Parts: sequence; structure tokens; C-alpha cells
Amino acid sequence: MLTSPRRWLWHGLSVLIIAGLMGTLYIASKQINYSWQWARVLPYIVNTAPLDLRASGNGTITEVTPDAITLTLDSGDKPQVFKSYDQAVAAQGDLIFEGDVVARTVQWRAGPLLHGLWVTLKISVISLFFATLLGLAAGLMRISSNPACQNLAFAYVGLIRGTPLLVQIFIMYFFVGTMLNLDRFSAGVMALSIFTGAYIAEIVRSGIQSISPGQMEAARSLGMSYPKAMTHVILPQAFKRTLPPMAGQLINLIKDSSLVSVIAITDLTKAGREAISGNFATFEVWITVAGLYLILTTLLSWVVRRIEKRLAASD
Amino acid sequence: MTEAYTGKDMIVATQVNKIYANGCHALKNVSATISRGEVVVIIGPSGSGKSTFLRALNQLEQINNGQIIIDGINMYAPGTNINKLRERVGMVFQSFNLFPHKTVKGNVMLAPIKVAKREPKKAEQDAEQLLRRVGLGDKLDVYPAQLSGGQQQRVAIARALAMNPDVMLFDEPTSALDPEMVGEVLDVMKSLANDGMTMVVVTHEMGFAREVADRVLFMEDGELLVSDTPDNIFSSTKHPRLEQFLSKLL
Ligand SMILES: Nc1ncnc2c1ncn2[C@@H]1O[C@H](COP(=O)(O)OP(=O)(O)OP(=O)(O)O)[C@@H](O)[C@H]1O
Ligand SMILES: [Mg+2]
Repeated sequence: MLTSPRRWLWHGLSVLIIAGLMGTLYIASKQINYSWQWARVLPYIVNTAPLDLRASGNGTITEVTPDAITLTLDSGDKPQVFKSYDQAVAAQGDLIFEGDVVARTVQWRAGPLLHGLWVTLKISVISLFFATLLGLAAGLMRISSNPACQNLAFAYVGLIRGTPLLVQIFIMYFFVGTMLNLDRFSAGVMALSIFTGAYIAEIVRSGIQSISPGQMEAARSLGMSYPKAMTHVILPQAFKRTLPPMAGQLINLIKDSSLVSVIAITDLTKAGREAISGNFATFEVWITVAGLYLILTTLLSWVVRRIEKRLAASD
Repeated sequence: MTEAYTGKDMIVATQVNKIYANGCHALKNVSATISRGEVVVIIGPSGSGKSTFLRALNQLEQINNGQIIIDGINMYAPGTNINKLRERVGMVFQSFNLFPHKTVKGNVMLAPIKVAKREPKKAEQDAEQLLRRVGLGDKLDVYPAQLSGGQQQRVAIARALAMNPDVMLFDEPTSALDPEMVGEVLDVMKSLANDGMTMVVVTHEMGFAREVADRVLFMEDGELLVSDTPDNIFSSTKHPRLEQFLSKLL
């Protein structure tokens, strides 16, 4: 065991090594004349560009106060009132045509990268839901005594774990999706659910098998049917044990979901690619995208650790 | 199973054979009749089939042939609902097998609520009463992991009793306990016997057998060799293998 001042020295060394690596990368990027422009990434995260407020028909500006601009319409309809604007474009008495900018508001809106992050989170959570159902069913089938159930679950898990996710996404979108007339998002959710379900099946199986057989015997000896014993005795205990691997699986799912960008779902990865074609800040955008994934996964592992602590009450 | 059976035989096992998947012939033509209210202790060397026989009595082990009738109901007859039958046969295990995710009270209430569909309020009152009866009225809301072995085994007995069984099966209920805790569990079992419960007990506690049992069964190598009163078993044995077994114990 190292004494504590020595430990701090080692911590300091690790920080130095990381800083050194980052410095090397920076110098290397200078060598290829890369000019870093982080400011160009910002609009893709939060969009601060003013929003145009446009006229809905032809007319005249009849009143401009600090609070509102009133546009009286030629058609005689109710006047259009622009409230809470930040910057007036038209002045009192101006003739306005339909579609003209009358005023602007400054607003913070989520940029494409945050939209992408939201899509990633959404597709991951929906897929996790279906994957859990599938995985639970397949896991229970794996341990059932019925050979048909065993074989089906075995084939499912083997097939899915033995083929690349990218290929599965293509099959789901171009083949199954075409037959069932699925939109991109559904095809993506299906591919991710089926893929993750196979891994969850194994987690469920090993979780259930880790519960001592005496638990099932005790439950059955009290007159519980197999399904009742499963739901009230075995699964609640298995759930607690499977929480850490399930959290790992969710984090994998979030990362795997980046592959659905190949079927043109605008998730975080696709949003990153689109951002680069707009601002050419390749390095900055990919580093930002990686950072956003990292924030999401770190947040989730933190939440899961909290849940684990709560469930530890009966230990 | 609706017709009320009032005969005096609680358990009738006839020519029961059990062969495990690995070929081990664990029960060889075992026949035994246990009357209502009788306390029967099963003894015998390790591997003689005591647990297998006990577990066959509530079908935790399926037998290969023979017949088991519990309170007039043929266990293997078509149409027999094994879950209904098991409600009436309580079992206590060597390793307690309490549900670790439930409190003490939760353990006792679970089956009455989920299986017997009793009113939760009523089930809770019954559970509290049962737990007081086994001396655990002050541990209602703790989790099993916080209890000693002897306390856990008493909870397990209360849990089995909560279904109002007609028979209680005990498989070495004190073997996993520290010596100082054996007594508290045996006391609960004695009071149960005094209340007239039909009990089948596998145990190495010869004191309990001598004091509480109405009859002792001796098994060896899958066979039921001797069935006699404790007095005859422990004083004037004539069976050479039983004698050999008992001499090793002393
Ligand atoms: N699940 C099983 N599969 C195969 N063989 C088994 C199984 N359970 C028990 N046996 C065998 O059946 C025989 C009887 O076992 P059983 O557990 O009934 O003995 P026991 O009298 O209860 O012994 P002990 O005093 O050690 O508990 C033993 O030879 C044992 O090895
Ligand atoms: Mg045994």
C-alpha cells in the first residue's frame, strides 16, 4: 500500500500523461494545418440565430409599441399582432406583403446535434423496452423444460449474436421493412430491439439460474404454480442481480444505436455528419458528438447506481 | 378432490420407486402409511434416500412408479391439481430457503395472499399471530439476512404453517444450525406435535425422535428397513443394520 502523498504523485502523473497525449494530438493537427474553430460547433448545439416572424397576408403596419406590432390586413380579417418580439424590422405605416419579415425574436433553440441526441435517446429507450420483453421471453424459454421453447430461443440467440448488427439493420430495413412497409424509425427500433434482446436473454437466463434452486422449491412447496413462483419469488431476486449487466446493455444499446444512421435516421451520429457538411469543422464535431454520447452514458450509469443502492435494502 | 376424506390415513405410500436421471435408484419399493396426527421420524445413513422420500411426498421429486395418496387424494391420478395438494403439505428445508427480498412478515404472507387469495389484511394478522407463536413477534419487518439461523428456520416453519397445511414435512431442519440454536427450533416442532399436527421429520436428533416421535422409520440404501416405535428402535433392536447405524451415532 502506497502512502498518501505518494498516491497523489501518481494521480498527478496520470493527469500529466493525458495532458501530454492531448497536446501531442493538438500539435499533430497543427502539422496538417488544421485550424481549430470550436465556435462553429456551437450553433449546432444551441441555435441562437434570431427567429423571423412573418406576415400572414398583405397589409399595413398600424401600430408599433415596445410590446407589440399590429398588422392590419387588407383582407379585412382580424389584425395580426406580433407580441414579445426582440427586434422590429417593419416601421409604422409600412406596406407589407405576405411572407415579409415583420420582426425577429431571439430564442435559444436546440441545435441539430441536440435533436440528434434526443433521437438517439428515444430510439434507445424504445428499443430497450421491446428488447427487455423479447429478452425476458427468450430467457425464460431457454430455461424451460419444453424442447421446442429451448430450441427456438437457442436459435434466436445464436443467430443474432453470430451476425453483425450493421447487416441486421440492412436486412431489417431493406428486406423486412419493405415487406412490412416499415418506416426508418420503426425498422431501426426493430433491428436494435431484436439485437439487444438476444443479449438480454442471456442476462435473464444467467440471472435466473444464479438464484438458488431452493427458492423455486420453497415457492412450489407452498402451492405456487410455476408462473407465480417466477413472478413473485424468482424474477424479483433475479432482477436485482441483473441490474448491473442490464445497465451495461443499455449503454451498449446507446452506442450501438449510432449504426442506425446508415438508414438515414437523424440520430446523434447522423446529425454530426450533417453538421460537418455544413461547417467543415470535422474534428470539433466528432469530438463534440463523442462528448455527448459520453454524457448520456455516464448519466445513465449514475442513475442505475442509485437504483442499485435503493434495492440493496434487503441485503 | 371435493369429497371430504375422513379416514385415519394421512399419507399412504405404496411400492414407491425413484430412479434419478443418472441411474441412481434412490427409492426401492418403499411403502409406508402415516396416520392423521402421527409424528414420524425418518433416520438412516447419508444417501439412504430420506430426502428423496420426503420430497416425493409433495412431488418435488417425481416418482417412477408406485402410488402416493395424501389425505385420500391420489397424487398421480389424472386430474389431481398438484398445486392445490401442495397447499396442504407444508415443507421446511435444511437451508431455510426464505425469500430474501421479502421481510419476515412478507415471507409468511406471500402464499396466503397470492395462492390462497386471502384478504391481505387478514393474511397480515394471521402472519403476525403465527410469528408470535414461533417467538418472533419482534422481528416482523426485518429481512431474513438480519436473522440468526434458528430465527430463520422458525420463520420458515411459520411460512409453511400459514397455508394451514394438514401435514408438515421437515428435511433435517436443524442440521444447518449452530448447536445453541437447535433447541429453539425443536421446541417449536414439539409444540406443533403437541397440537396434533401430522409430521414427517428427517433428522439426526435422536433425542427428538425418542421424545416426540410416535414411530421411527429406518432407511438404508433406498430401502425402508424398519418401522417401529422409538422405544423398540432405541432399546431392543433386532435389525443388524439399524444396530450398526445407531452404534456409529453414539
Ligand atoms: N438430483 C439428484 N440426481 C441424482 N442423484 C441424486 C439426486 N438427489 C439425490 N441423489 C442420490 O440419491 C440417493 C439418495 O439421496 P438423498 O438425498 O435422498 O439421501 P439422504 O438420505 O437424504 O442423505 P443425507 O442424509 O445426506 O441428506 C443418493 O445416492 C444421492 O446421491
Ligand atoms: Mg437429505
